Amino acid sequence: MDVIETKDLSKEYNASRISKQKVNALNDFTFTVNEGEIFGLLGPNGAGKTTLIKILLAITFPTRGTAKVFGMDASNSKWKSRVGYLPENHKFPSYLTGEQVLNFYGRLSGVKTGVEFQKKINEMLEVMNLTQWRNTKIKKYSKGMMQKLGLAQSMLNEPDLIFLDEPTDGVDPIGRKEIRDILIDLKNKGKTIFLNSHLLSEVEMICDRVAILNKGDLIKEGNVDDLTKSENIFIIETLEPIDLELKRKILTIDSNAGIGENEIHAETGIDTVNKIVDTLRKSKIKLKSLQQKTSTLEELFINVIKKDNVN
Amino acid sequence: MLTIILNTFREAIAKKIFVGYYIIYTIIILVVLFAVNLDTVEGVMSLTDVKESVISLQVIMTSVSYLLILIFCIISSASFIPSMVDKGTIDLLLSKPLSRFKILMSKYLGAVIFIGISLLYFIGTIWLILSLKSGFWNFNFLFTILSLTFAFAVMYSIVVLIGLTTQSTVIAILINLFMLFVLCPILAARETIIFTFVTNDVVRFFFNFFYYIFPKPGEINDVTIRLITGETVASWQPVITSFLFCAAVMSFSVYYFSKKDY
Repeated sequence: MDVIETKDLSKEYNASRISKQKVNALNDFTFTVNEGEIFGLLGPNGAGKTTLIKILLAITFPTRGTAKVFGMDASNSKWKSRVGYLPENHKFPSYLTGEQVLNFYGRLSGVKTGVEFQKKINEMLEVMNLTQWRNTKIKKYSKGMMQKLGLAQSMLNEPDLIFLDEPTDGVDPIGRKEIRDILIDLKNKGKTIFLNSHLLSEVEMICDRVAILNKGDLIKEGNVDDLTKSENIFIIETLEPIDLELKRKILTIDSNAGIGENEIHAETGIDTVNKIVDTLRKSKIKLKSLQQKTSTLEELFINVIKKDNVN
Repeated sequence: MLTIILNTFREAIAKKIFVGYYIIYTIIILVVLFAVNLDTVEGVMSLTDVKESVISLQVIMTSVSYLLILIFCIISSASFIPSMVDKGTIDLLLSKPLSRFKILMSKYLGAVIFIGISLLYFIGTIWLILSLKSGFWNFNFLFTILSLTFAFAVMYSIVVLIGLTTQSTVIAILINLFMLFVLCPILAARETIIFTFVTNDVVRFFFNFFYYIFPKPGEINDVTIRLITGETVASWQPVITSFLFCAAVMSFSVYYFSKKDY
């Protein structure tokens, strides 16, 4: 089931208050997010990532196109009780304590107050390691603590869909790992997570699917595994050395293969790779490993953005 | 809605200026409690004198409250709306299952109710002390709570609109003070002062036109004083036109807020 669905979604802004010049923040953006997946939205600064989230949450209105969440129009606020949101650079009222922040935003999210609600607040503070800070005014919180508190408020109403805009911004590596674990745990519980992050290694680790945005255009979308796979580059490692005779045989199968003492790089199709493996086996050479070369999400991101900017 | 209203109370209390406002009220209450002598038994004053003294004191208290409410409280609460629409705060609010109408009206009502409660504390306590001391129970004095809360609600609607459109606390305060101390008094004095210098009918028409459009806090205070002293209120027009102004400004604010991209 599609939790989020957009069709030809576009957003134009005026360049300034007095100027009539238009800036395209989003151009005919069409995509879907499936139930229970972690979806990552990537893109350089100003690509339109936050604008997309804001349109989905009806914080900003689209110029054209449609956006649906849980099958309902994004501008309808009925579905919002099923959603959690952590904005980038969020600000909580500085006169509140950590516990009061959770109480306030939990109530706004429509959570019924009572013993269960208090239990949930306690649980969230515990999960985020903020229990000892619960009665401290948040103006004394560090950036990392504010991020954790923000994440806690986004989960208080046990949402089915969570939008996270740079959730690990300002968080130390241990805190980042904790947040990653929480997100994976949420996914295992069947929640859908929409993640907007600059930390590509992080996105790669936890996201099922990603979309890459540049200048308001969707330029790549797909499964992380598929996108990071470099097609037709295989590396075969052997336990025994490859002798000269065997090298010649392999070169007759794939003349472009790079052959080392215990390694073969083949930039070819899977059928040819199978023939090379058959040849190795016939020569009683044991395989140590066979893998398709993958690029990192960061490499893919940089290549895709560079290519798009040239075009 | 109640959550935002209660949070607005918290925001007001967190502002030290409001604490100062309560301290001033409490000092005045203590002065009235311990320093004002309205004893008729010992023959200090006749009953008529006592009644007049009580009414005079109540008029003074109304005027003190009028100034405190329209200057002190407007300035103190002017930041409520700009801070609400601040990036990072408004995003979170709008992501919650609440309509924009409810969010804005809750914030507005939160400030108005907070001022109403402050007035209830001050005027109610003063009324109780004076009544117990004098034995003269002037219930009309309690109208001050409603009328000054209404005056605040009218002037605060301007702060809400300016705060929403400019997102600036300073501009909201300046425009409000300009209306309170320059524009509204000039328009109110158009017949007694301005029209003695202005004879052009078109200009006079515009003065009259803007007089009826804009709020009339001074006249609302006059109506209040008339109610306290038991005089007949000659015209309720200032209250009605101020209410219409407030309703129009708040309607426009809600419309603007519901269409605005954040």
